[in-house]
Amino acid sequence: MSAIVSRAPVPAVPTASPSAQRLWPWATLPVLFIVLAASVPLLSDYGLEIAFRLLLLITLAEAWNLLAGYGGLVSLGTASFFGLGAYTLTKLLSDPSDSIILAMLAGGVVAALMALLVSRAVFRLRGLYFTVGTLALAEALRLFMVNYRGLGGASGLFLAVDPPAQREMVWLALGLLAFATLVVTLATATRFSILLRAVRDDEDAANQIGIRPFRIKLIAFLLASTLTGMAGALQALKVGTVEPYGTFGIQWTVAVLSVVIIGGQGLRLGPAVGAVFLVALSELLAEYPALQLALTGAILIGVIRLAPLGLVGLVQRLLARKKGGTR
Amino acid sequence: MNAVLEPAAGTPLLRAEGLVKRYGGVVATDQVSLTLGHGEVMGIIGPNGAGKSTLFGLLGGAFAPSAGTIEFNGEDITALPAAERARRGIGRTYQIPRPFLDMTVRENLLAARFSLHPFEAGRVARAACDDILERVGLADVGALQARGLPLLRRKRLEVARALALKPRLLLLDEVGAGLVDAEVTELIDVIQGLRQELDGIIIIEHVLRVVRECCERLAVINFGRKFADGTTAEVLASDEVAAVYLGTAHGAPKATPAANETAATPQVDLAPLVSMAPRQDAAAPPLLELDNVHAGYGQARVLNGISLRVRAGQVVAILGTNGAGKTTLANVISGTIKPTAGHMRVDGQDITGLGAHRIARLGLSQCMEGRRIFAPLSVEENLMLAARDVTPGEKALRRDLVFQLFPDLKERRHNAGTSMSGGQQQMLAIGRALMSRPRLVLFDEISLGLAPVVMDRLYESLAVLRAAGLTMLIVEQDVERALALADEVHVMEHGRIALSGPAAQIREDPMLRHLYIGTAD
Repeated sequence: MSAIVSRAPVPAVPTASPSAQRLWPWATLPVLFIVLAASVPLLSDYGLEIAFRLLLLITLAEAWNLLAGYGGLVSLGTASFFGLGAYTLTKLLSDPSDSIILAMLAGGVVAALMALLVSRAVFRLRGLYFTVGTLALAEALRLFMVNYRGLGGASGLFLAVDPPAQREMVWLALGLLAFATLVVTLATATRFSILLRAVRDDEDAANQIGIRPFRIKLIAFLLASTLTGMAGALQALKVGTVEPYGTFGIQWTVAVLSVVIIGGQGLRLGPAVGAVFLVALSELLAEYPALQLALTGAILIGVIRLAPLGLVGLVQRLLARKKGGTR
Repeated sequence: MNAVLEPAAGTPLLRAEGLVKRYGGVVATDQVSLTLGHGEVMGIIGPNGAGKSTLFGLLGGAFAPSAGTIEFNGEDITALPAAERARRGIGRTYQIPRPFLDMTVRENLLAARFSLHPFEAGRVARAACDDILERVGLADVGALQARGLPLLRRKRLEVARALALKPRLLLLDEVGAGLVDAEVTELIDVIQGLRQELDGIIIIEHVLRVVRECCERLAVINFGRKFADGTTAEVLASDEVAAVYLGTAHGAPKATPAANETAATPQVDLAPLVSMAPRQDAAAPPLLELDNVHAGYGQARVLNGISLRVRAGQVVAILGTNGAGKTTLANVISGTIKPTAGHMRVDGQDITGLGAHRIARLGLSQCMEGRRIFAPLSVEENLMLAARDVTPGEKALRRDLVFQLFPDLKERRHNAGTSMSGGQQQMLAIGRALMSRPRLVLFDEISLGLAPVVMDRLYESLAVLRAAGLTMLIVEQDVERALALADEVHVMEHGRIALSGPAAQIREDPMLRHLYIGTAD
């Protein structure tokens, strides 16, 4: 063949038949979550702390990966939906008898409503412009919260009830991650993922074969915002307080983005691997926060430069090469 | 076919009335009207840049017309976006294929299928897609990422994806470009088969055999306007059409200059562009020599022992079917692919495995397949970029010579490189290859997808370069034009050279027809 490509094509995940490939998450994920749940009672206080952070970060990263990795919608607006979820829960939980789960769900719904509200505007923008548009949204919301007295202004709000015990927080985080995994698996292991990836690869061409890109992008955007809002609600519950600089700050956005890029965009295992890697790094270097930041930056640069599909992509490539070599 | 509410009898499948498309001040489509009856196959021809693809964009809904109306099956669809038109049964292909690159070939088709029938059983959808892949000859690559497909297979995928929509009207944009005769025959068979199933087909095509054998009617577009229309035989016989479009490809050479491409090449002294060398005697080492070169991509072996020589001042042509390995050979020579075995020598010195930039420095320049113009740069910048390490005065001199060779480029010197027509872009690519004052230029498929009259024009300029003493290696699909220009010809088959000799001798060789044209007619 007079090939145009200079690189060998990336082999699609080999051996497994298409149906087996689609079934494996349904078989392995429940087992994984049962194992995780069984290990929660064994954790020390330190372990619980790490587990909570890890679970929350993976949830956020799963949501962002759905949007950016599968949908090509690189958003810098994570903080807006995270913050909305956090404020919603803090505002709603006024009595110890109120349902935490319902308040979390409400946080997700409010975030999704905001996504719906801005979708017309941000989807008019493509590529980099979409990214900047979502960043502007997050900044606008932060400034609004700083200046709006009704929600505590710059000093924020305090949670009226006592946060649950740490172990309970981990149960909630695990439950949320299970929900996120279910949603993302449904969206990525079904035919919806084919439509979503078609829109990601070429929106015009997708249009030309009858796909309505707006709807497809909106569905992904709503799912991701809901999950992000619920994660924000959970974080607010843990900290017991919300204020604009922390909850609407860009640090959440950047953390999530780093996790997915280091783990592997558009790959199912990317968020989990990236989160474990970054949390481990931050724990190892807990004494040297400046060094940790610098190192994360350096790793980001290295990964983007050398392994565009992150750590998971790198491992896949090495495995494929090994396989090719022994054939 | 599948519509329940069939409109009144006599309603055409498609009726476009007074379509206009303006981009700022530029009118790309100007008052074009056309009607396609049920069961009809219509062809659209015209020079590169005439606005044919823009017309498809308007019909398919990629962009809205500035004026005019489009009716599909009696329904006004002018205001509908592309997705809605696709769902009503208009399928189109892109001239430059736009597959979903990071999805498998089968998923590319499934996307169309699932968008229309979201709740269809997966088994049914996959079977339907596999049928289409089988039909267009892509069944073997269904599980491969579309990114791994070479250009011509991507074109097939374009057709397959449009078919997955089960369209009533199919718009085919230059699907025949780059095919050799046997493949053109195959394509014609596919189109003839489709006309039984579809309600109508419109074909944009430069390959005249496709137009002649498939279309009942033709419309000729020139400068965005409908220049002529009528039955295929009438249009192809018209002198006016020959002048603006067909050129010498059709019947006797016409004396009339082409209307929208500058005709006569001015006589200029090309010495600053062409590193002239006296024709070498046989004893001296050849300028370029390949000795038993093997190469491939990953597991696929594409070249299996190629040996050839190019002497200074010589024009050597390489012919062969698609998949014979011509482009791979070009890539090996330019250094973008490293040979796995064998040697490459320049002036007798071994350069095997040298990087592309270092080969370029030895004076080997390449005019790549697909033109590869730098889109963000202007015409002039594209040229200037290629002349490195010379004084500004020398650069300007070379630029002016390229402008003399291709006056079209001078007029458009400040335009973006990719804003020009295909023919003009190819001129730019040729000019750019000359800017480094190369000792040898490799021209890879320069006539791909160009109107016959533009091909004439390009080959005229190659003849001028040849007369100036430029050493050339030409990889070409168009046998006649290559034979007319070359001193020596090699015909490739399955990664080997099957036939070589002086052009005059090869022309008479019955093996050429057998090897190249295959079993077609």
